[in-house]
Amino acid sequence: MTLEIKNMTKAYGGLRVVDDVSITMEDNDIIGVIGPNGAGKSTLFSLVTGFLDGNSGSVTFQGKELGAASATVRAQAGLVRTFQVPREFSHMTVRENLMAAVPDQLGENLLNTFFRPGQVARQEVESAAKVEETIAFLKLSAVADVPSGSLSGGQKKLLELGRALMTGAKLIMLDEPFAGVNPVLIGELSEKIRELNARGIGFLIIEHDLGALSKLVHKMYVMDRGRLISSGDPAAVLSDPVVREAYIGGGVT
Amino acid sequence: MTGFAELLFSGLMSGLIIGLAGLAVTLVFGIARFSNAATGDTMTLGAYGALVGSAFTGSVILGSLIGLAAGALASVVSYLLVFRPLQGRSPISSLLASIGLAFFIRAIIGLVFGHDQNVFQLDIVRPIKFAGIRIQPNDLKFAAVAISTLAVVFIILHLTPIGRRMRAVADNPLLAKVSGISPRPVMLALWSIAGAVSAIAGIILGMKTVVSPESGWEMLLPAFAAAVLGGIGHPIGAIVGGLLIGVAQELATPFVGFTYKIAVSFIVLLLVLLIRPKGLFGRSEGVR
Amino acid sequence: MEAYLIAIGIFAGIYLLLALGLNLQFGMTGLINFGHVGFFCIGAYTSALLATNGVPVALSLAAGGFAAMLAAWPLGVVSIRLREDYFAIASLGFSEIVRLVVTSEGWLTKGVQGIPGIPRIFPGVSSQMQSMLMFGLVMVLCLLAILAMRRIVKSPFGRMIEAIRDNEEAVRSLGKEPAGFKMQVLLLGSLLAGVAGGLYAHYIGYISPDQFIPFITFQIWMAIIMGGVGRISGTVAGVIILMTFLEGSRFLRDVAPFIPEVAMASIRLGVIGLALMLFTIYRPQGLMGDYTKR
Repeated sequence: MTLEIKNMTKAYGGLRVVDDVSITMEDNDIIGVIGPNGAGKSTLFSLVTGFLDGNSGSVTFQGKELGAASATVRAQAGLVRTFQVPREFSHMTVRENLMAAVPDQLGENLLNTFFRPGQVARQEVESAAKVEETIAFLKLSAVADVPSGSLSGGQKKLLELGRALMTGAKLIMLDEPFAGVNPVLIGELSEKIRELNARGIGFLIIEHDLGALSKLVHKMYVMDRGRLISSGDPAAVLSDPVVREAYIGGGVT
Repeated sequence: MTGFAELLFSGLMSGLIIGLAGLAVTLVFGIARFSNAATGDTMTLGAYGALVGSAFTGSVILGSLIGLAAGALASVVSYLLVFRPLQGRSPISSLLASIGLAFFIRAIIGLVFGHDQNVFQLDIVRPIKFAGIRIQPNDLKFAAVAISTLAVVFIILHLTPIGRRMRAVADNPLLAKVSGISPRPVMLALWSIAGAVSAIAGIILGMKTVVSPESGWEMLLPAFAAAVLGGIGHPIGAIVGGLLIGVAQELATPFVGFTYKIAVSFIVLLLVLLIRPKGLFGRSEGVR
Repeated sequence: MEAYLIAIGIFAGIYLLLALGLNLQFGMTGLINFGHVGFFCIGAYTSALLATNGVPVALSLAAGGFAAMLAAWPLGVVSIRLREDYFAIASLGFSEIVRLVVTSEGWLTKGVQGIPGIPRIFPGVSSQMQSMLMFGLVMVLCLLAILAMRRIVKSPFGRMIEAIRDNEEAVRSLGKEPAGFKMQVLLLGSLLAGVAGGLYAHYIGYISPDQFIPFITFQIWMAIIMGGVGRISGTVAGVIILMTFLEGSRFLRDVAPFIPEVAMASIRLGVIGLALMLFTIYRPQGLMGDYTKR
């Protein structure tokens, strides 16, 4: 089992934003989490990745209970998220964004920067080669040296995926990867996710765009007002009357 | 034992002043969402306003009211001219501008009033003995004023419509925006209250000690320590924090000496940040 | 006139060392250090005390820088992981406590009287030669600091601190801890400030606690903001503007001696205060434009 989220709960005052949610994920799964606005999906992501502390519940990743591990430690363990509103390093180019994500860089220490410049430079060359591969894979070559703040929404989503890849993530959690992305790019992004999955990376995806998501995922969970209301095979979930009710009730088409 | 009781009493007195200053810091932090470094100099301004007012009217009480009004007015003007244009920008911009404002206020006061120490002309009253400890009657009046100020602030916050809106904005700025709370009246109310509370703290401080252009700036660290100790954004917390720091300062004096009294605030601040950054009453959100 | 310019040049160089460190901290990393003068003070006192007790000046200067760095470490441990303005307040408090300690511990620091007769850096030369050599030394150190900053900007470390300034949460999401980088930046900036303090003490020969007030910290802030945060060239320009302002106000006193020095001090305070407000509101990018093109 790659990921096991157990009875995760987060309340603000009396309001339970995430209420007793449990999700399990096998190796190599692509799992979708859907639900209307305010269902608590992004909060769930923040809880799982350590950006928020939950009131109760546990996360086990690759057999290890994460406890109170910080966001940084979780990401180092291979559990990497993206953000609903992309958080690119906007003053840096696409290439620099990706370079920054490479783990364990010698040059991240000032002493090495000054006293072991040779080794740092050698490692930079290796990192640059990997970054080049990722840029080619995500077809970002045309914008590789553009400040990432000026990218389109879809390109920023690609860039965040690229950064997650550069960290060597084993499970990537994508927060609305298709939101604000044009249909052509959605198709391409889906294709990339499948390809990466075939290479052994798991995906947990929050999405609004049910069409694209249902074709991509192996299993789907539905959240509404903090609770899981349905789960299973995408086709079955989408025809579940409870789900249809929640979506119409939530005013989402 | 009486020595201890006297230290405790005097600690509670300075604690009330620190608590009031901390309240001003915490209110602005809770609602306008930044650390206002001009709080101390607003205190100074209030004290000078009261000095001038007292000299002009011949009454310390009328003078203090003038000082209070001066503090509130300066605070509202600083919102309109400095902090409103910075709304929506990083809280760091407002913090930096508040440092600039603090210097500016101190400079104006220095230019107008000079750098000599000033004192309020208060009647000298013989200390009374109560349960074996000596108490200055003026201290009792100051305590009464400070406690009434707190009562008024909490009545405004909890029992008036504008106070409820202020608390709603403090609890959740986004939600408050969605639910159509107009920010302008809330902000004007906030800055008048914060300015008035700072001024009262500055006036009491000035009456208990002396008034100089630097006196408020030196209160900034204790004020922040009180706000952080109480849990930043938490009004009652700031008062409790202030009282605790005031008492700790006095009780520490026999051990660390008079000069290191103000270091107590810094030690408290560091300890809170180290052990419990969300403070005594605070919520963990937004600490990291 | 020449001697005057050299003196200004030395002060400008000392300010530049301070400003380069603060620019690394705030401009490049986003660390809000309001206590820079505290490290400057520690460097000055450490070096002055060691040198007056017979330690060779070269050694005492280095010790000053090291002491400032050492003092920064616990401050960073306590407050660097928290909200950015908590560090701002804690560091401001730190610098005030440093001043309190040097004021109070008279047995060591001579308290408010200050330490007179701090040895010059180059013994046995004429005062004119002393100034020339001092100027040379300060410029060499500034040049080294600038080269170090340039190397940092171009290094993986520089990339990471820029990322931290852009978005700390995203940095965490990539499995990197911003606090570690901020700590390194705090230590290096404090080292520079400590060395600057030593240079200052040995150059003017007399230090006292009132030379290390928070106003100094915010003069440096003003310099890096005016010059354009995050840019090395902007930092140099900002320091030049600051020196022009400080010297200009001194010059004004010479032509208008009826203005008392305390009033002039208030005017300086007010102008810096006003400038801090106006720049943050109307020109946060500094006089020279966008800091991304550094």
